[in-house]
Amino acid sequence: MSPAAPSRTGPRLSWLSTSLAKWSVGILLAIPLMLILNDVRIEFVQPGSGLGPDPGEALVERLGVWSIRMLYLTLLVSSVARVFKLPILVQHRRTVGLWAFSYVVLHLAAYFSALAGFDINTVFADFTKRPYIIVGLLALFLLLPLAVTSTRGWQRRLGLNWKRLHRVVYVAATLALIHLWMQEKASFMDTAIYGTILLLLFVERVVDFSRKIQRRVRKGTP
Amino acid sequence: MLINSKNQIPASEITPESVYLSRRKFIGQSSTAVLVGAAATPAIALPSGWVEEQGYSEGEPIGEKITPEDIATRYNNFYEFGTGKEDPSKKAHVLTTDPWSIEVAGEVAKPGKMQIEDVLKGIDLEERIYRLRCVEAWSMVVPWVGFPVKKVLDKFEPLGSAKYVKFTTLYRPKEMPGIRSIFSSVEFPYVEGLRLDEANHPLAIFAVGMYGKILPNQNGAPFRLVVPWKYGFKSIKSIVKIELTKREPRTTWNRSAPHEYGFYANVNPEVDHPRWSQARERRLPTTIFGGTIATRMFNGYDEVASLYEGMDLKRNY
Ligand code: HEM
Repeated sequence: MSPAAPSRTGPRLSWLSTSLAKWSVGILLAIPLMLILNDVRIEFVQPGSGLGPDPGEALVERLGVWSIRMLYLTLLVSSVARVFKLPILVQHRRTVGLWAFSYVVLHLAAYFSALAGFDINTVFADFTKRPYIIVGLLALFLLLPLAVTSTRGWQRRLGLNWKRLHRVVYVAATLALIHLWMQEKASFMDTAIYGTILLLLFVERVVDFSRKIQRRVRKGTP
Repeated sequence: MLINSKNQIPASEITPESVYLSRRKFIGQSSTAVLVGAAATPAIALPSGWVEEQGYSEGEPIGEKITPEDIATRYNNFYEFGTGKEDPSKKAHVLTTDPWSIEVAGEVAKPGKMQIEDVLKGIDLEERIYRLRCVEAWSMVVPWVGFPVKKVLDKFEPLGSAKYVKFTTLYRPKEMPGIRSIFSSVEFPYVEGLRLDEANHPLAIFAVGMYGKILPNQNGAPFRLVVPWKYGFKSIKSIVKIELTKREPRTTWNRSAPHEYGFYANVNPEVDHPRWSQARERRLPTTIFGGTIATRMFNGYDEVASLYEGMDLKRNY
């Protein structure tokens, strides 16, 4: 197996690197947010009809669900690029990752406003006493430097360390799963679904890593 | 009197009282096969207009807004039908509530199994407007129609050895998709319990109706418990068995997560659930930035405090 040769896959799907494609991906990932915001709008016009009788909780939940989906989608981009030998896809990883971060920030903002009602005592108690919230916060804080250093400039500046730094995303992804798991009351379905997805994403990376090692070993002993 | 704009009941479904009362006789005679016309009237244990026909004393207003009926009947927990708040109202319609029998066992002088209509015989219905505080920190105000638990228990004559009451919900996987879920971490059938003196408190009721009508399936038809000073999960739905016991029964949530759900589960703003605060609650329906209201000790039912005199309610949560 030879490493994916850009000369072969480069021209294939080359339209994916156009700026139109970049914008399309960005807009596509904003659709869930648009739908949620539209429901918030309806909720303001006619309480109860956009987000149901408990709108604060519904809002936090929906943004939370899209946070974890976007986060895992970010990891999926690299996997698909490797498995299907489409390195061109990696150009879109930053867009997905930044959207993931945005959904998490909005999830936190919704918690702060709609669930905690800007009540500092509630927030303080939750941030210090509720393990699942602390785990969520930890995940958010780990994503923050990744969002900041996601630009080309930082990539160049950090060189090899950029890759090392961005491996933190695996910790954040695992913490996100733990955050979800710690909230489960009667059903482990969500944890099982997202856990399986994360597991597959990790398996793909382990397989890829061991292939690379083998290749290196073969090269070392001609 | 039966007219309800939302849920129009076809007149054909409403069994006139006379027919209802003589239903047992009909069943007895139907073998003669002459009563073809009468057979068209379904023999229903609690027909849809039953509560209206029985009549009930109206509940005292509590000075708090009653939760709209379509919210109390469409947004609730009944995990036998799924863990989503809208699962019960979407899936409980397949539940068969007729016939319905209730078995009474354990420390009673007269154990046995009774059809629900016989259990209810001779009991006057009353409306009770109660706050309902869910352990998940939301609350509603619901007008139940029912009667004190004591009235039913006394029919079976509890013995002096009876100290607790154990209640069990119907277990019928065929009609209850939540039970069939392989991801469920709670055990079914659902079991709840009270100390006998709690059950005998006049505020503790069995409900057969809400909003002036028989209970919808998703709210625990045809026969459920309502204990307004405890978290909602104590108010067990669709009861098929009542057992008087000497020892404290192991209840479903207590078994599932003992550090989170105690046997008593009295509403208490000072004892947090390990995962969230119980100091405040969201009174539903609320608006998006509607905020919260303070949760009251015993959900505001101070008259039950004497039941717990001398008990450490932080430990007996
Ligand atoms: C990477 C970061 C995070 C991810 C991926 C994430 C994801 C999720 C998911 C999937 C849910 C479950 C929604 C459901 O019930 O189906 C959730 C719920 C929740 N999250 Fe997060 N979360 C993150 C960070 C945070 C942070 C920083 C907070 C800070 C307060 C937070 C607070 C909550 C709360 C309060 C809920 C429960 C909402 C409810 O049902 O009442 N999360 N989150």
